[in-house]
Amino acid sequence: MIRYLKIYKECIKVDFATASTYRLNFFLNCIIMLLGDIFFPLITVLIYGSGAGFEGWTVYEVLLIQSVFTMSTAIADMTFHGIMWATMDLVRNGGMEMVLILPVDTMFILMARTFSFEGIGLFAGGAAIFTIAILNIPAPSVWEWLQFLAFFISGLFVMMGIGLIMAAISFKWVGNSRIPEIFDCIRSFGKYPQSVFPKAILVFTSFLIPVAMIAYCPAAALLGRGNMTMFLMILPCVIFLLFGIFLYKYMVRLYQGVGG
Amino acid sequence: MRALKRQLNVLRAVAVVTYKEWSAYRTHSMVSILVGPVYFIVQYFIWTALFKGRTEINGMDLNQMITYFGASTLIGYLTMDFADWNLQMLIRTGKFLTFALRPIHHRFFALSQKLGHRFLGLIFEFIPCYIIFSVLFKAPLMPAHIGWTVLSVALAFLMVFYIHYILGMTAFWFTQASGIRRVFDLLSGIFSGVYIPLVFFPQWLQKALFFMPFSYMSYVPVMVFTGIFTLAGVRIDIPVIVGIQAFMVIITILFSEILYRASMRRFNGVGA
Repeated sequence: MIRYLKIYKECIKVDFATASTYRLNFFLNCIIMLLGDIFFPLITVLIYGSGAGFEGWTVYEVLLIQSVFTMSTAIADMTFHGIMWATMDLVRNGGMEMVLILPVDTMFILMARTFSFEGIGLFAGGAAIFTIAILNIPAPSVWEWLQFLAFFISGLFVMMGIGLIMAAISFKWVGNSRIPEIFDCIRSFGKYPQSVFPKAILVFTSFLIPVAMIAYCPAAALLGRGNMTMFLMILPCVIFLLFGIFLYKYMVRLYQGVGG
Repeated sequence: MRALKRQLNVLRAVAVVTYKEWSAYRTHSMVSILVGPVYFIVQYFIWTALFKGRTEINGMDLNQMITYFGASTLIGYLTMDFADWNLQMLIRTGKFLTFALRPIHHRFFALSQKLGHRFLGLIFEFIPCYIIFSVLFKAPLMPAHIGWTVLSVALAFLMVFYIHYILGMTAFWFTQASGIRRVFDLLSGIFSGVYIPLVFFPQWLQKALFFMPFSYMSYVPVMVFTGIFTLAGVRIDIPVIVGIQAFMVIITILFSEILYRASMRRFNGVGA
């Protein structure tokens, strides 16, 4: 375990050194991500500015959901989403063998190697909108903050599960750079108040691929709308992550090399 | 006349080869059959919820809004472009030199490639998604004026291509121009009306968008499809806005040519 922590620390150091070397590119990418992050909630502001809105949800409450989603995405991008692109690239180029012969867990080393500080701009943007939103809603209690934390971590499990499933698919669907689009479109259900969707979709977003946990549930907790169902949803999140890990490791075992 | 015939033969040959080449990766295009409808479902329920207790928002009713997003997605499949990425890669790797020596303008070659690639998009993205949107979701997706819509989409096709080609040419000046591409993708996504109709923006911005290329890439053809064009509180007749779109395309083509000539003077054939 300590050895793995040391490896992870080294990988963070390497990424920091890379970012320091290519400073301009790093800052440019951070700024682009930050701007992109500001523009998306702008759509919500524009909708509410036109006098429309989701019934029972103020603009700040919707912004809260979207900012939590952004922060979750930023953490995922920084820590474990890189495995998808790395796996896709290595499988296509036939370079996966070089990773497989390393005396460490393949899944771990690919996540560690793809650690990226670039998501920090995205996180900063999300955190800024989160702060604005939180200042415009009734102050959450300590219990609500704890609920938020539990749901937010569960949401990260879902994100990680999605990342691993995407990476696992890339072993078979070689070189398809559109795989992330499939999961992005599914995740988009999690950016809005779940009350706008019909029950059939809610079952899907709550228990099958629990994307509602990424942002809606943590935000609902802060708004005092947390309930027992949300606590029950933690289990599918854990199962989803375990399924992702299992599938990825299974695909690594099946991998026969040569690229595609 | 012979020169035109020769050009058409080249165009057809390049388009057919590109079509065959990308057909090998048709499942990549077919991802849209899942992605398009899922995004459409999200938009459908969001706007249905937003229209609860209202008949119109910013002058658009629910049916119009659903048509807007359906048409926007479908037209996007026909106009999608990555000439910028391609050109930047060719310049950076030095491979552009082989094109500079050929007896064919690279921009024409790239346009022909786009035709072939988007024909594939028509078959594997546009048609299946059109059927899904119309049959499964009962989205009203019949253009109000077929002729004007086809013309406007063709102009948007050219606009998107020339704008991306211009972006690609920035690689003659910058070693790594991917940041510029990302900024443009972000801006065009928002200001072309892909995410939200432009009538939701403040009036001053809507006025400014008249003079920018973004709206002519998606918003104009989509609104021509719906049969009513409004921007900055001004309602413009369909033939007039298509005429303005054609004018903007000509301006863009001229700008592209000027930039291309300047780029050729700068090009050293080494790459970076």
